[in-house]
Amino acid sequence: MKNTTDIAVESIGLSKNYGTVTALKSVDLKIASGQYYVLLGPSGGGKTTLLRLIGGFLRPTNGQIYLHGHDVSNVPPNLRPTSMVFQSYALFPHMTVAGNVGYGLKLKKLPSAEIAEKVVAMLSLVGLSGFEDRLPHELSGGQQQRVQLARALVLESDVILLDEPLAALDAKLRKDMCFELKQIQEQVGITFVHVTHNQEEAMTIADRIAIIADGELIEEGTPQDIYREPVKRFTAGFIGENNIVDGKVTAVKGTQAKVDVGSTTIAANSRSKNLSVGDQVAVSIRSELCRILGENEKNVRNVQKIPATYVEEFFLGLTVSHLVRLKTGADMIVRESSDRAGTSEFSEGDDIYLAWELGDARLHTS
Amino acid sequence: MTDEFSSVWSYRLKWLYLLLLVATLMVPVFYNLYISFNKFGFGAYNYEFTLQWYSVVFQDQLLLSAFGWTMLLALCTVMTAVPLGLVAAKFFKTTRFKVWFVALLLLPLFVPADIVAASLLVFFKNLSFSLSWLADMTGLSWLGGWFDLGFMTALIGLIIYTIPYIFIVILITMGRYHPQQTEAARSCGATAWQAFRDVEFPQIRAGIFSAAAFTIILTFNEYTRTSMLKGGFDTFTSVLISQMLNTGMSEQSYAMGGIVSLVAILTIGGIIAFTMLRVQSLERTQRLKVNADMSG
Amino acid sequence: MIRTNKTQVGGGRTILASPTFFGRLFGDNGLQKYLFYLPAIFMVVFFLIPTLLTIVWSFFERTLFWMEPGFTFFSYINFFTSARFDNFLSSMFHSGISVIICFILGFPIAVFVRRHVPQVAQHRVILLFILPFMVSEIIRTFMLRPVLGRNGLVNTFLQKLGIISEPITSILFTPLGVIIGEVMSFLPFIVFAGFLAMEAVPKYIFEVCQDLGASRWRVFVDIIVPLAAPGIFAGGVFIFVNGLGVALIPNILGGPGAVNAGLIATQAISALDFPLAMAVSAIMMITLLGLLFVGHRLFNLTRILEPIA
Repeated sequence: MKNTTDIAVESIGLSKNYGTVTALKSVDLKIASGQYYVLLGPSGGGKTTLLRLIGGFLRPTNGQIYLHGHDVSNVPPNLRPTSMVFQSYALFPHMTVAGNVGYGLKLKKLPSAEIAEKVVAMLSLVGLSGFEDRLPHELSGGQQQRVQLARALVLESDVILLDEPLAALDAKLRKDMCFELKQIQEQVGITFVHVTHNQEEAMTIADRIAIIADGELIEEGTPQDIYREPVKRFTAGFIGENNIVDGKVTAVKGTQAKVDVGSTTIAANSRSKNLSVGDQVAVSIRSELCRILGENEKNVRNVQKIPATYVEEFFLGLTVSHLVRLKTGADMIVRESSDRAGTSEFSEGDDIYLAWELGDARLHTS
Repeated sequence: MTDEFSSVWSYRLKWLYLLLLVATLMVPVFYNLYISFNKFGFGAYNYEFTLQWYSVVFQDQLLLSAFGWTMLLALCTVMTAVPLGLVAAKFFKTTRFKVWFVALLLLPLFVPADIVAASLLVFFKNLSFSLSWLADMTGLSWLGGWFDLGFMTALIGLIIYTIPYIFIVILITMGRYHPQQTEAARSCGATAWQAFRDVEFPQIRAGIFSAAAFTIILTFNEYTRTSMLKGGFDTFTSVLISQMLNTGMSEQSYAMGGIVSLVAILTIGGIIAFTMLRVQSLERTQRLKVNADMSG
Repeated sequence: MIRTNKTQVGGGRTILASPTFFGRLFGDNGLQKYLFYLPAIFMVVFFLIPTLLTIVWSFFERTLFWMEPGFTFFSYINFFTSARFDNFLSSMFHSGISVIICFILGFPIAVFVRRHVPQVAQHRVILLFILPFMVSEIIRTFMLRPVLGRNGLVNTFLQKLGIISEPITSILFTPLGVIIGEVMSFLPFIVFAGFLAMEAVPKYIFEVCQDLGASRWRVFVDIIVPLAAPGIFAGGVFIFVNGLGVALIPNILGGPGAVNAGLIATQAISALDFPLAMAVSAIMMITLLGLLFVGHRLFNLTRILEPIA
């Protein structure tokens, strides 16, 4: 047998159609064992479909799924080494907490003393010691999700699948649970695959993130990579707050490319992509790396700049955002820490420049 | 729940109207019971309470056998129609042809009893003629006699009659069930059957039992379909109807009517009382637990 | 990749690489899948096909005790050119009146329960109407004879109160008796159908209307009825068709001329005129399907299903 144990989940050409609707188009994905892996993307993008295919709740239209090297594409969920945590309402309301957590063990016909012992240990791991005899409706939302986690973990499956597990919780609790999930995962060392549409949650928790939209795997990488160096234009638009300008390549010199963005020409690092003159590309810059230069600063050197008009300022608490409009009509955001911001020196209609350091611009070909 | 400005009296009047309407609909039933307990029967000037007409019914061998047939039919209908209705409700949740499926299952509600019974009667007669002809032709004698009028044809008629009600009752109960619990059970290692048995069934049990109770009552009350399709044997209601239409009402007939009514009233009353008590006891245990949490 | 049939993975959960014969037979895609088609198959074989075949059989030739294949309009001519057709038309008229009376008496109850009774108690109040519905129709109908009869409950009561001196005898065995019987039998259905239909009328609508200063009547006509139309229509069709088809009510309460389609069919069967019974059944089925089709075109009846789907 080939030693593929370091890859916990692998999908090859995985796709799913519902009648004529395509939910997932040919996804190739590899998830290393022991990782906290997050599938992130907008609603209806296919991330839950992918998770449910891995869990066996859906049958693939095409392609295969391997769990630790075994083809499980046609194996029903109860025979797969995966356990699922659902968004809500998934606890059995007529069973106690202990009954819920021990259900899978009871199906395995373990002696009841052993079941009780494992249940107690697992409940203490998720911080619910002493809740054994409660019924699900007597628990808070966060506690219910902990019970679900315990129910999944107690089976010692190879992969834990989490389908928007924190989406039903309020913002503060979601944050706390995020850290806790991560800690528990590190403690048990099991592969977690977590679906969410909340990028803050994904950033906090993930070892690696896969961006999934329109039924496709857009790109995949560590949270830092995805945030700092997105490869795809979609990722730049989806993660963080990026200003994106579309344009056409007018010249390529070494790793530097000149891009005509309508009102002016800017330079960007081609990032080892094969570019030729005339290619349609996009350039993205994180809004917190942008600056506004006044008419009198137009001779500042070593920055990229596009002429624009100042529109408005928004106070957001931690940061202040400035809205500026390019000559092409596109709106851009400049964000700065609110400590540094005084009252804005610009007012509506002022001609200004949107500027950034040369290395901060990222060029996207798709 | 009324708004703050409307008068309490108009609200009370509406309630009075509602209850009065139910009472009016029940008048014939109560009048029947009233007569059946009178020693002197219908229209008599004097009234003396007695159970003697009921004991007459229970001493009549013919009626007892009719009663037995009725109970057997009711039991068989429950055993077949309730599982069918349950499977139909499960199928409805997953099928893409929801509208057509519902139309097929609920249409029997709209077709009057005599019309369904007449077409089924002719259908069964044709089937049974064709099958015995086939049996003669092929020499396969087991083919013959399948759809001769009898217990099975009456049972099929009753299943068609009760399935829409069962389907609706179970479907409404299932509406409160969250299907991700089945998936959660599958994820814990349960087969589809185990997930249904351990997780879904306990939660829709009340609906299934009410559907079964309704089925028993509906079968017990049914007359038109059963009498056309039953063949040889007598049921309780077919005896009652023939007394009503042919020999005229005797004191014993009123007692039979009383039995039919009481079976329905007690079953429905039992269900209502049971659900109300259950809701109350659930609320009480919940309150106790909350109190314990607050003090502990 | 070499794989054995059973492999131990992770925490001891067994993956069956290829399901066994037994697993395939009873698994998610085996017999179990076909089990789910059983109700549909049953209904098609024992309900849809027999009711559709009535049309075929209605053209058969009548024989002494049975019928034989043929193509004749005899049964239809027999139906449309005799007193049966007049009776059928007048039973349609009486049925229509019953529908209207049921709507006037019963639908306000559905509105009242939805609007003024707390959510948790609504189903229990509606359950009250199950009680009369669940007591045998035979008893409720037949007992109207002693209730409405010469020495019956109503007459005795009114005489004792001194409202009338002579017993009223013009109710039983007249069209009025049939209509009373139909209303008493079918009223619960308009309450159930109306209750389901009112699910389509969200409660805040009443507050919005009050805010806009609409009168009760305007709210009823402009908001409630259009929104609840599919359910009201379904309840109405139910009562109308059963008024035409349930033989028991005219048989017990009606006079000599009170003969509806159901009674014609049962009388034809007792007279061993099976093609005629089938013709009447076919006419009833076509009436029913026609009404449902028109209703669906007007109100989109699938809207009724939204609460359960």
